[in-house]
Formats: sequence, structure tokens, C-alpha cells
Amino acid sequence: MNLPQESTQTVTLIIDGRTVSVPAGTTIWDAARQAGVEIPVLCHDPRLRPVGVCRMCVVDVGERVLAASCVREVAASMNVVTNSEKVQNCRRTLTELLLSDYPEISARERTTGDDLLIDLANKLQVDRDTIQLPSGNGRGTDSSSPVIAVDHSACILCDRCIRACDEVQHNDVIGRTGKGYGSRICFDFDVPMGASTCVSCGECAAVCPTGALVNRTLTTPIRPRADLRTIDSVCPYCGVGCATSYHIDTEANTIVFAEGRESPASESRLCVKGRYGFDYTKHPQRLTAPLIRREDAYPKGPLSSDVKGETKKRPGGLVDYDEVMPAFREATWDEALDLVASRLKAIKDESGPSTLAGFGSAKCSNEEAYLFQKLVRAVFGTNNVDHCTRLCHASSVAALLETIGSGAVTNVFADVRNADVALVTGSNTTANHPVAATFIKDAAASGTTLIVIDSRKTGIAQHADHFLHITPGSDVPLYNAMMHVIIEEDLVNHDYIRDFTEGFAELRALIDKYTPELAQGICGVPAATIREVARILGQANAAIIFWGMGISQHTHGTDNARCLISLALLTGNIGRPGTGLHPLRGQNNVQGASDAGLIPMVYPDYQSVASSEARKKFEDAWGVSLDPNPGLTVVEIIGGALAGEIKGMYMMGENPFLSDPNVNKVRKALSNLEFLCVQDIFLTETAEFADVILPAASFFEKDGTYTNSDRRVQVGQMALEAPGQARLDWQLVCEIATRMGYPMRYGSAEEVFAEFTSLAPSYAGLDYENLKPTGKLWPCPDPAHSDGKQLLFGDGFPTASGRGKFVPVDYQPAAELPDEEYPFILNTGRLLEHWHTGTMTRRSKALDAIQPEAHCQMNPEDLQDLGVGLNDYVKLSTRRGTITLKARPTNGVSRGNVFVPFHFREASANTLTNDALDPFGKIPEFKFCAVKVEKA
Amino acid sequence: MRLIRELFRLQQKHGYLRDQDLTDVAGRLGVPLYRVEEIVSFYPHFRTSPPRKTEVAVCRDLSCFLREGAEYSANVRALLNGDDEVDVHEVSCLGRCEHAPTALVNGTPVGRVSPEELVHRARNTDRLPNVGLAQPHRWRIDYCGERGSRYSVYSDYRNRRDAGSAADEIVATLKETGLRGMGGAGFPTGLKWELVRKEAATPKYVICNADESEPGAFKDRVILEELPHLVIEGMCLASFVIGARKGFIYVRDEYEPEQRALKLALDDARSRGVLGDHFDIETFVSPGGYVMGEETALLQALEDRRGEPRNKPPYPGHKGLHGKPTLINNVETLALVPAILRNGAEWWQSQGVRGHAGLKFIGVSGHVENPGVFEIQLGTTIAELMDMAGGVSEGRSLKAFAPGGASSNFLPASKANVEIDFQSIADEGSMLGAAALVVIADGTDMIEVATNVTRFFRNESCGKCVPCRTGTEKVVTMLEDVLAGKGNGSLLDMLPDLEETLAETSICGLGQVALGPIASVLKYWGEEMNAHLVRSETP
Repeated sequence: MNLPQESTQTVTLIIDGRTVSVPAGTTIWDAARQAGVEIPVLCHDPRLRPVGVCRMCVVDVGERVLAASCVREVAASMNVVTNSEKVQNCRRTLTELLLSDYPEISARERTTGDDLLIDLANKLQVDRDTIQLPSGNGRGTDSSSPVIAVDHSACILCDRCIRACDEVQHNDVIGRTGKGYGSRICFDFDVPMGASTCVSCGECAAVCPTGALVNRTLTTPIRPRADLRTIDSVCPYCGVGCATSYHIDTEANTIVFAEGRESPASESRLCVKGRYGFDYTKHPQRLTAPLIRREDAYPKGPLSSDVKGETKKRPGGLVDYDEVMPAFREATWDEALDLVASRLKAIKDESGPSTLAGFGSAKCSNEEAYLFQKLVRAVFGTNNVDHCTRLCHASSVAALLETIGSGAVTNVFADVRNADVALVTGSNTTANHPVAATFIKDAAASGTTLIVIDSRKTGIAQHADHFLHITPGSDVPLYNAMMHVIIEEDLVNHDYIRDFTEGFAELRALIDKYTPELAQGICGVPAATIREVARILGQANAAIIFWGMGISQHTHGTDNARCLISLALLTGNIGRPGTGLHPLRGQNNVQGASDAGLIPMVYPDYQSVASSEARKKFEDAWGVSLDPNPGLTVVEIIGGALAGEIKGMYMMGENPFLSDPNVNKVRKALSNLEFLCVQDIFLTETAEFADVILPAASFFEKDGTYTNSDRRVQVGQMALEAPGQARLDWQLVCEIATRMGYPMRYGSAEEVFAEFTSLAPSYAGLDYENLKPTGKLWPCPDPAHSDGKQLLFGDGFPTASGRGKFVPVDYQPAAELPDEEYPFILNTGRLLEHWHTGTMTRRSKALDAIQPEAHCQMNPEDLQDLGVGLNDYVKLSTRRGTITLKARPTNGVSRGNVFVPFHFREASANTLTNDALDPFGKIPEFKFCAVKVEKA
Repeated sequence: MRLIRELFRLQQKHGYLRDQDLTDVAGRLGVPLYRVEEIVSFYPHFRTSPPRKTEVAVCRDLSCFLREGAEYSANVRALLNGDDEVDVHEVSCLGRCEHAPTALVNGTPVGRVSPEELVHRARNTDRLPNVGLAQPHRWRIDYCGERGSRYSVYSDYRNRRDAGSAADEIVATLKETGLRGMGGAGFPTGLKWELVRKEAATPKYVICNADESEPGAFKDRVILEELPHLVIEGMCLASFVIGARKGFIYVRDEYEPEQRALKLALDDARSRGVLGDHFDIETFVSPGGYVMGEETALLQALEDRRGEPRNKPPYPGHKGLHGKPTLINNVETLALVPAILRNGAEWWQSQGVRGHAGLKFIGVSGHVENPGVFEIQLGTTIAELMDMAGGVSEGRSLKAFAPGGASSNFLPASKANVEIDFQSIADEGSMLGAAALVVIADGTDMIEVATNVTRFFRNESCGKCVPCRTGTEKVVTMLEDVLAGKGNGSLLDMLPDLEETLAETSICGLGQVALGPIASVLKYWGEEMNAHLVRSETP
């Protein structure tokens, strides 16, 4: 645990003649800084543990030799002289020593221009050209990484990159190799950076003070910050919501490079997607004009060979526009929008509002989500509106609403630093929430006991004190057994159960039969381990629980989440520092899109459509009468399309063809729609089935707010001009509404946000001004003075009884179990470098270069048994379809299992997945179905 | 310790560290790959390619250099010409300076033998003669003449009921003697023990620093070989005073025969019941490197990290091994303690001459007739000590001497009457340091000597901090240019700044003293530098 140590003692000392008082334990460097004395440093960065290796910060403290101020703590009555002649002379000599080996012009001087060694030389008036020392022979370069250029000759061995990699990001790749003058930084066993286990987070280049590690050019050449325009924003990818600064070449209308920005959510860190995945927005395949399907492209159906399902062996890649574009013609905005409005209106008039449906997107802003659901509800006249939350955490939210009355997290992920114990389950955190993972890894390195439970041994498991490698789908018996032990050994929190919960007796009655021995037989974890881990959780003073899609994407996903909630209630681990329930949200705005009502059962802020009171509120606000019936969910809507019950659809930024289960069914369903309007930034697989395609502005081309996994509402600012005729999503929603006879007019996204917050009590008081620069956590009753409420439910829950409810559940196996014909278990998920259906990331130069092709991951022994060698292809078949792709061996996948990332259109994982649903969350079972594996 | 010991084991097993072994060991111990690389690439003991059948390591440092070590090494190479079963390489000081030029054959020391004999042994490794340990001496500090009374000082204290006041008495006695650490820095021993005794944190550790690696220094090696029981008893007494249950002897890799003597003594102490119940000692073999003798570098190695000295404070007595209070003393210091406690402070004070107190082990090497280790009375002069060692070899006259090994500044013959004592030698502008008198006869090129010494520090710099890592390299390059007749005045221009910068800003003693010897050579023998530079200017 890293609880800040309160220092009560104050030390008074003299720095350059000034009397300074600081807390004991402060370094001289920090004390001087507080006193307004800047001491030069190269190796020190306030974000990093000081190491005192460059020696530039030496000061005279009257001892035998000078002292490095960045590591030396103050002492009472110390008399510090920071710039005596001796000190200055030593600094100049050190600078000369470093410059004698330095390249003539460093890569940092050529790019961002902020080379700290050169700055220091200028400050100390050291002339590079007159140094009398022999120059070194150079130590080589390494250009193997697609994102970072290494020049060992410009490395001063300050160890900043080492600490950034190993202690900030905890990726543990960079160290020092060799000894003495021959020392160099190294990656793993001194292999080229590109061949190492480096995950390209770029933290090393971000902290490097010299030209040793610099970012490579992704768009236009990197230039000094001062020559570029800087926009503070947030990252467009995952639910962590890292704060970013984008440096923009205005003339070329392109982002040149990205940097992390200080924020409680990310502490200036980024991952590979956030730092290097911004250039998709400039990809030549961007849609720039409205498109209408040509007469001769009917009857509708897939256009590209991949979407048609023609299997073939090839490295894969993007859609070939030559295959799809001939089916469409460019149109004017008026023609396209009128067509959309008139066709949707005609279907509504002829077949009724419930034959229309809309998919919004968790990639769009709160404002866009709000307007989109308003359009569907108020204009289409139906609650058939949903988005990809259905595919990720719908079951978690169902369980949370049922048990504790709120679907959001009860604590922020960074608070893991105050936890004694952290449980991470069903979450490939290092790949899917890389920056949240840094907080978890950091806590683990600082004493938090980390328990990881997963059916795959992923990156976060490498940092675990206890890793439980469970059989897929066996979560319920495992957690029931853990609760069994906690109850049996009386490790429950009696006071908490008495004061804040209900249903304990029912839980205890059901749990009774779930002995660790019973669970062992199902989940494969030894009973003794279950007991040990249960005790650790039961005895923890503060335990926090994180989970991901491994919990939620099951037909028993809601049950899985209920177990985790019961575990927290049982041990009283909610509402205090270092405790809580945190389902890690996938998309950058999945929390916000849900908050904004992009869900068929609820209006904004989870106000039920079935509640007449809530309905009245929104009818009054929107001036129309609303449908009292909850709408259909994503998979139900696709089913409805197949059955002919859904006839017209509007999709804003969703790509269900690749993201929904059972692609062959989706293909038929989409072909079956009478009218489909797709609004997106690229011509997606789904858009091949469209009648009208509307080109939208990308994340970087608009203003909006986004709510991260922590409930932190942040402002994303427009950085670039949209290409061609592309327009803002929310404006297009307004156009369609208006043309369908319901005028929607807003002057800005900010105005939309104001309407939304007026109807959503949790967002009350928030506006664009008070959200800058680092956002606020909702609820935030006092935005002027507070960051918002970090800990929820310390004093009861927003349920009818005010109590948290134990919902005991029995074990249900997955919907489709392996058998003789389909003997393997299929699991799907994501990779670090890619995002969902790959629309963005596969069009990002760096991300595509690192992870260019479809593949599956299997246990090496299974591959050996199948006779599959390195880089060989396998054919995967389920009852629903077949794909062919390369197989990669990994020990992280157990025997009998196959893991397929779902980003790759040429081998779409969802061709295989089962569309069986969880009865409560209506989430499909992406994490489990039976599959056959053959050598292709 | 786990990682380094595991790497030792794997290298022992396969002759070298195979890639797969390294990957496996990282996985098994749960350490990142880079951590393994950091260790394997830093410590000279480890190798990642298969060795030849025979490895000959010839010392290249000061004492051997003075005894024509370079020619010796060249002769060995010439004689072996074409033999692909034998690999010859020059290594840093082996701590057997009395046998200069000295070498190891597959890790086994060979005495002073001809190049032909060395080659013969390299080709017949199955019949390597056992290294005869030195002739047993009668050392004054060995209070226990016969084996029976060994460890009696410790047992007496351990059996006392008033352990607290017994420990206080020990501290008081040590303080009264004014005993200073014999590793080189000379910190008062009684004060150090008292400071660690007062630390509240537990567990505490006692570490014996047996990593003697200073060119010219070998007195600890002789103590390890002949008086290991006194070292062990000193550690036991230290553990008694500070309250430690665990001790480590950090011994250099190349002291293999001495490790065996140590093991016998440890077994003996255990069988006598001296070790075990209250306190026990493990030996940790260093994976190599001079800087490991720096006490915080040594701790780094014990913690499976690169031997890069830590910034101090905190000192090891406060935060040492695993962040816990750790008492680190040199071999000789620990070995002196039992006799002092047995005989009392007055006895100790009476052991010196000319107003100095105590005894001192000192190694004498270089241009002397009978190099070796001498237990002298403090206050003895350098000239007297040289006489004990048979005088300057081959009847030559004295030109210079280094009183404390390669890191001590060279003094001219005119200073030979200096009394051997920490302060007296410091007053003359050098230091007693590791107690390694290196004698240099007339006719020796002092610029070559200084180059040899500076090169040693360049080779042994850990590379952690800028001044030492780059400064030593630059000066060596400039000196080599001078010797090669390509020198210019830049060395003379730059050296004062460089010396000040290394002395003032280096993290540890290695960098702080690295340019002292060359500076002392320029001070006393500046004309020799000028002669080289004139030669450089002559086309």
C-alpha cells in the first residue's frame, strides 16, 4: 500500500542564503524548488523515483564532497550552496563529458527540439565545438520499433526510460546491459526494441531528456511544440479515458504527435493506442461525401469478399474500396438526408414505430448519445435503441442495478493504491485497459496482494501474487466456494451485513453446498488454493474488485457479477478507500452513452421507461408522447431484422456485422432490412448493407464530453477539421429529426450537454467550463470546489430498502459445451494494439504495423498434436461458421482452448460465436462455445 | 541472492549460460528478462558462450604490470599460438600480487611460474598441482594458540547473563582502542557497531566484506586462509552486539582456495555449537568486479542487482541489506576484534610504535625481493617495511610507492620515512587505504604506471554515474594517445577539472579517487609527461 506518509516534522535549512522550512524527508532539490531555486537536472523527473546518476544537481552542503540534491534529504541547519564556482565548474565538466560522445545533432533536436542536454549546455555556456575531450565512437542505433527510434549514442544513461518502463508503466522491458563505459540501455536480453516484449506505450520516449529515444514520424514530420498548435483532449479508445495533448500541424490539418497529460485518471501515462493510434483519422479511406446505394446494387447484400464470407488464405487487411464503392453513388447532403428521413418515416407510418430501431455508439459523445436516443424515442416513437454496452457489460449493469441500485463503479481504479488486496477477474487489463493496469501493477509492486482469476494467463497475471487459472465458465462455483470459506471461517463483516445488506440468510443457505472441493471439480483450482485466496479476501482490511468481459460475456454473466457483488457485500468492501466494485468499461464513452439513455429500458440517467413518472418527465421535456414499452436489445433487434419485425434502422458508429455474435445470421438480418442508414467515418462491413451512408466527423474533429470507467466526465476538444463534406454526428441526428418533422436545433455540443444535464440528476451542475481541464466524477454536487464523488455507497445504497441485496446463484454451464465433433472451447476478445472491429486501429500506421494480421492463440501442445507449426494456418469451425487464420502458440491459453481476437474482418471471430443470451443482461456468450480445430 | 546463485549453478552445470536457461530462470524466479540481462552482462563471472577447454586468466594490474605482466601475457599467447583449446585473457587484479605476474588456470591459481610452465599446466588441466597454502605464520592477533581455545572470547560474552551491558562493554572497548575499519575508509569501528546496535528495525545483518580486489591488496586473502576462525568470531561478536541472527561473508570469486578454508572453519564453528542457535553465517561468492568491495554495491549484489553503489546516505548501518540495519566490516577488522577484547584496549595501544596504536596487516608487492603480507606495528615506516620485504628488488633504488594500492596517490622515494598510520600517510597526500604497499623501482615510466592504474578504474567503473563512467574513459584515451606518441596538451588542460569533477561528484569512492593517482604522477613526475608530449610533437 502506498498510503501517503504524513510527516509532522519540519526541517529548517538554508539554501543559497535563504531560510527554507520543509517537511522532513524532502530532498534538497524539492526544497530548493519550493524556495524558487531551480537546480539543473537531467536524470531526475518529479514523476520518477530519484536515482542521482547524472550528478548535474550536485550542491555544496559543506561535506567532504558535493551532494546530489535530487536524492539527498534535507537536514536541520544544513547550509546548501547550489551554484558556487566549484559546483558550476563540475556541472560544466559533466556536460562536456556527455557532449563529447553526443551526436552532432540529436534526434530530439531534429524533432520536438526539447533536448535537455543541449538546453543545459546553452545555459552553462558550454560550447560543443571547443570541447577538448576525445569523442566516442558511437554506440549504434536501433530502428526496429515502428514507433520509437533509438540512438544509443545520444543516451546519457540517466535511467529515466528504465524507471518509466519498469516503475511507472510496469512493463519491465528496459534495463542496463554491460558495465562501465560500455553500458547501454537494453530491451529484455539486449534484443532490438522491435523484437522485445516492449508494448510500445512510449513512456520511455516521453521521459527521455535527450535524443536517445524519440517518437518516429506517423504523419507529418515531428516538429517543436512551439511550431505546432496544442489541443488538450482525451484519448478516443478505451474506458480509462487518459488525458491527452495533441500537437497539430494546422496547415496539414493533422496531428503530429500525442502526449499524456496530467489527470487523476491517467497521471500523464498513455498506451500504444493512445500515443500512436491517432492517424486513422487521416486515412485515405475516410468517407467524405454522402453515398446512396445504386439501383443496380439491389437486392441488398454484402459487397466485399470478406463480408460475403468467401474464405481464403491471405494476410488480410482493410476492405478493398474497389469491391464496394461501385455499389454507391455520391449524393448531396439534402438528397441523402431527405432520403433517410422519408424512408424511415414511411416505414414508421406503414408498419408502426416498433419496426424502427437505432444503434448508437459508445464511441460517440454524451451529447450524441443523448440526441440519438432522443431521436429514436421522440421521433421514431420507439424504445428500440441500444448500443454496444449490450455486448460488454450489460450483465454487470443488470446485476449491479438489481443488487446495489446503480450500474456504475463504486470507486475509481486508481484507488487500488489504497487496497490491501485487489482481485482482477475476467480482465485482460494490460491489453484492454493498459493505463488502468499500470495502477494495479504499481499497487502490486508496492505491497497490495494481487489476485488474478482468469481462464487465460494474460499480462496482469504476471504481476499477481496468486493466479487462479480456471476452467472457462466456472466462475460461479469458484466464487460460491470462496464465499463458503469466508462464511465457514467467520471472516464475514457482521456489522456491514447487519447495517447495509439484505438476503444474507438466503445466500448462506445456497452457498452451503459449494465446498472448495466441489468447486475444484468444476473450475480446476485446488481446494487449498481456493481456501487460501478466500482467506486473503476475507481478512483484507480493504479489498477492491475489478472485472471485465470474462465475467460478463456469458449466458451466466449476470450470475457471475452477482457473485462478485455478494463477495464485496459479505466482506464489507464497498464505500471505503481501497475498496469497491469496478467493472472496467470498454469503450471511451460506454459509461456516458449508458448514462445518456442509449439503452432500451431507460431514459437518461437510468430513469425507467416503464415508470410513468419518468415518462411524464421526458414527455414534458421533449414535447411528445413516448412509448411506455421497453425496447429491444442489440441482439434482439438483429433477430427482429431477420424475422422481418424490424424493417428500418439507423446506425451511428456501430459495426454489428463484426461485433455481434453469429455473423452468418447478422449477414442475413442486415440484408433483410428494408432500409438501413449507416453513419460512420469509414465504409464499414455493416455499411455494405446500407441504402444510405452518411460521412461523419471523427473523434478528433468535434467537441464533446466522454465519461470514463471511473464516472469521470471529460471534455474532448476539436483538434482537426473534418475531411470533405463529413459532418458532426450530432448535427446529422438533428437533421434527420428535423426532416422527419421534429425540429432539433442546437448551436453547439455544449448546448446539447446543458439539456442532457438538466434531465440527468447525476450530471447536475456540470458544464464545459467546470469540466476542464481534467473532468469531474459524477455525481459532483459542488463542481466549483470538488473533483466529484470518488467513493459511492459508504452509507447505504440507492435501492428501495437502502440496502445491498445478496442474490445467491447456482452454477449453470455455458450454453454450448464441447463435444466429440467440436472438442475445443472458443474464447474471443481483444489485443492491446487493436480496437474492436479494427475500423480505427487497422488504419493506424503504427498499430497495424505491430499487429497486422488475424490469428488465434492456442496452447503449444495442442498445436503440436495437430501438427500445426509456426505461421501455419488453422481452420476453426463451430455450428455457425468457419474461419481460417494463423495460429500462434502461447502458454497463456490452456490445452483444449482457442482464443480468437475479434478485430479482423478477414477472419471474423464472430462468425464462430454463439448468439445465446444471458436472460437478464441480454448479453451474448462471446466467451464460450464449442469449436473444432483443423490444420488448414 | 537467488538469481545470482541460480546463475552460478547453471553456469557450473553447462559451462556457460545458455539462452534457454536464462529464459527459464526468469520465468522460474518471476523476474523480468531485463533483470537477468542486467546481471549476466554486468558481472565478469558470467558468460553466455561456451568456454574453451581451458581458460587462462592473466592479471594485468599494477603489481603484475610492474613485474612485466604484459610481456608475460604476450609470451604465453605466443607459446599457445594456434591452440584452440586454450583461451587466454587478461583480467583485473587477482589478489595474488606476491606471485606477480600471476594467473588462473580454469579458476585455479598458479604461483609465479614461467610462461612455459603456465602453458604446460594449461594443456594438462587434469593434473594441476594443488595450490599449497602459505606457510603458516604465527600471527600476533591469533590469541588462541591451540584450537581448543578458539571462540572463547565470544562464548564468554554469550554466556553472560547481562547481555546488554556485555554488548555495551564491547562497544566501549572498541571505542577506547580507536580501532578503525581496515577496508580502506577507516571509519571508527566502535562507533559503527554502536550505531547499528541502536537501530530499532529488525532483522539486522552482519556482513563480512571479503571482496578484496584493490590492485596490490592481498592481506585479507591471507587472513581468510590462515585465520578464518578469527573472522568468524569477529562476526559472532558483532551479531551479539547489534542483535543479528544472520551473517554473510561476501567473498570474491577468485579466492577459491580461501573459500575452502573458510568452509572448513564454518563447519568447525558449527560443530562446536558457535554457529547455529543464535547466529549463523552464509558464504556468498561474488560474481566479480572491484566495485563490489564498495559496501552498497556489495548489498546490491546480495539483492540480485547490478553492483552499482547506492547514493549515501542512507548508510548500510541504517538501511542496508533489504533496507534493514546492516553492519559491514572488512575481514581484517573483524579478525582483530577477538584479540582486542581478550587482551584489552591497553594491550592494543601498546602494540604500536612511535606513538601509534595497534597492529596492521599489510601486503607488500611490486619491486621488492620478498613480497608478502606482514603484520606490522602501526608507526613502522614504509622504509622499514620495505626492508622486511627484502628491499627493492635486484638492488635497484626506490623511485616511488603507493601505500594503499592502486587507488592511493603515488609518493616519491623521499617520502619513504613516513610512518604507517591512517593520518600520517594522509598528511603526505596519499592514503593507507587497503594496506597494499606497491613498490616502484627506478627506471619505471610513471606515465605508464598511471595509465595502468587509470585503465583499471575505467575497466572497473560500474557505469552508474556520469563522471566516473565517462571521465575514466576519456582520461585513459588521452593517456594512451600520449603513450602512443599522439598526445597533445589537452590532458594537462583538462585534468584539473576532470579530477575535481570526479572527486566531487562521483557516487562512490571508485570514481572519487580514480584520477588521484594520475594527478599525483603529474605532480611529482610531470617532466615524464612533458617528455612524452615532446616525443609526440616530434615528427
